[in-house]
Amino acid sequence: MSLKFRVPIFDVKGLDFNVRGQNILSNVSLEIFNGEYIAIIGPNGGGKTTLIRMLLGLDKPTKGKIKLFGKKISNFKEWSKIGYVPQRASLVDANFPATVLDIVNMGRVSKRGIFSRSSKEDLNAVEDAMIKMDISDLKDKMVGTLSGGQRQRVMIARALASNPEILILDEPNTGVDMVSQQRFYALLSKLNKEENITIVFITHDIGVIADDIGRLFTINQKAIICNNPKEALSCEEMSELYGIEAHLIHNHKHEH
Amino acid sequence: MLEMFEYEFMQRAFMAGILIAILASISGTFIVLKRYSMMSETLAHSALVGVAVGLAAGFNPLWMAVVVAIISAWLIEYLRTTFALYSDSILAIMLSGSLAIAVIIVSLGGAFNNSLFSYLFGSVLSVSDEDVMTIVIFGSIALALLLAFSKELYFIAYDEEVAKVSGIKVKMLNFLLVTVVAIIIALSIRVVGSLLIGALMVIPTVSALQYRVGFLQTTLISLVFAIFSVISGMTLSFYFSLPSGATIVICVLVVFILSLVVNKK
Repeated sequence: MSLKFRVPIFDVKGLDFNVRGQNILSNVSLEIFNGEYIAIIGPNGGGKTTLIRMLLGLDKPTKGKIKLFGKKISNFKEWSKIGYVPQRASLVDANFPATVLDIVNMGRVSKRGIFSRSSKEDLNAVEDAMIKMDISDLKDKMVGTLSGGQRQRVMIARALASNPEILILDEPNTGVDMVSQQRFYALLSKLNKEENITIVFITHDIGVIADDIGRLFTINQKAIICNNPKEALSCEEMSELYGIEAHLIHNHKHEH
Repeated sequence: MLEMFEYEFMQRAFMAGILIAILASISGTFIVLKRYSMMSETLAHSALVGVAVGLAAGFNPLWMAVVVAIISAWLIEYLRTTFALYSDSILAIMLSGSLAIAVIIVSLGGAFNNSLFSYLFGSVLSVSDEDVMTIVIFGSIALALLLAFSKELYFIAYDEEVAKVSGIKVKMLNFLLVTVVAIIIALSIRVVGSLLIGALMVIPTVSALQYRVGFLQTTLISLVFAIFSVISGMTLSFYFSLPSGATIVICVLVVFILSLVVNKK
């Protein structure tokens, strides 16, 4: 009785992705479970974003199977369980007519019917997401006038407004200063621990990996999964794949 | 109030014009934000093919314009999503292609050059009761669809991929938007003319964007600008015997320039 069967949020088996004869990903298999805090690292062009795009149904794999919450991706309908913050999120078009509230409200759109106004539940979810990201006082500000770090929090609030079970962030720190980055990792940890939201984030900057990461996936055409990131960072295989010396990482961390 | 309302054709023109201002500005907001501004020009030229077919074959030109503009909008969206073509190239190809077809049909038909002229540049005199009815019927459907899906369309305009991942039927709604825009453009060519409707769709929104306010306010400002331009354009065209479509466009241009100046940093 002690073993409880758990359905993974993402169940990926034997994934291949080829573009114009070039092999971007080969034979990638991985599982992501509820409550995990996972970092996906790897060099630029190594296939991290491609992997995420396939997990989200934006690209179709050449070969392999993907299941979301136990369902085949083609049959999966409950997309509001997944919060996605894309790579360019904090680099929004400065002229786009959107207040912070306009953007966070987008997180509720797929839950509302046609014509319908925001329900009490919608309003609460939006307000809650803004409080969690500490942007309530910015709600009437135009997004184009915010700093990189503030925009980043707005984009995450939008993803949180649908009350997702998993949050996927692709290079969330593009265009964000160092202080905001540290604050950002603290927020992710908090969401993971206190709200039990599964977190998956992609970064090419191996130096930023936070201490409380549960598992680390290294993607460079192939995937290597390390269940203990601290050991993993020193493992020879990992540094070989990533293409840099592992001890550099530790040096980098001590600098801050 | 004014002498011009003693004429029935002016009453009809004002009714049609205000309806079109509402439709063009609201749909224009989505078109501009999606970087589809040139779409309105292209569809206006495609609508001309419909007009030419209608005039040549003896069907109602406005109805034919609606049908051909919708087919053209679907074709553009299909080409854009299926082939590795740049969106603006597709629009340029469709624009000149449509114009070529329209010109050939017109030249084969021969005798109806004058009535075609009124579709090119708009003519308040030519707006019939039947036209007003067509605009009311199709316009209400188009407006209802836009309002029903406005929050989804706004999200898609902001970020198509994130909208898709959040479960919004992006492909279907993109088709819906271009369909609605095609209908609105086809309806508008009587009053503003196919060569000028793009301006009424795009410029009020671009002017409203200069005020840097949220989505709802931007849409409302754009709506006010469009209605104001149509009313002042028609009034000026009546008292100074100017062509209505061109005068409306000049009015909206003035609004645009003022908006630029007022909001200059």
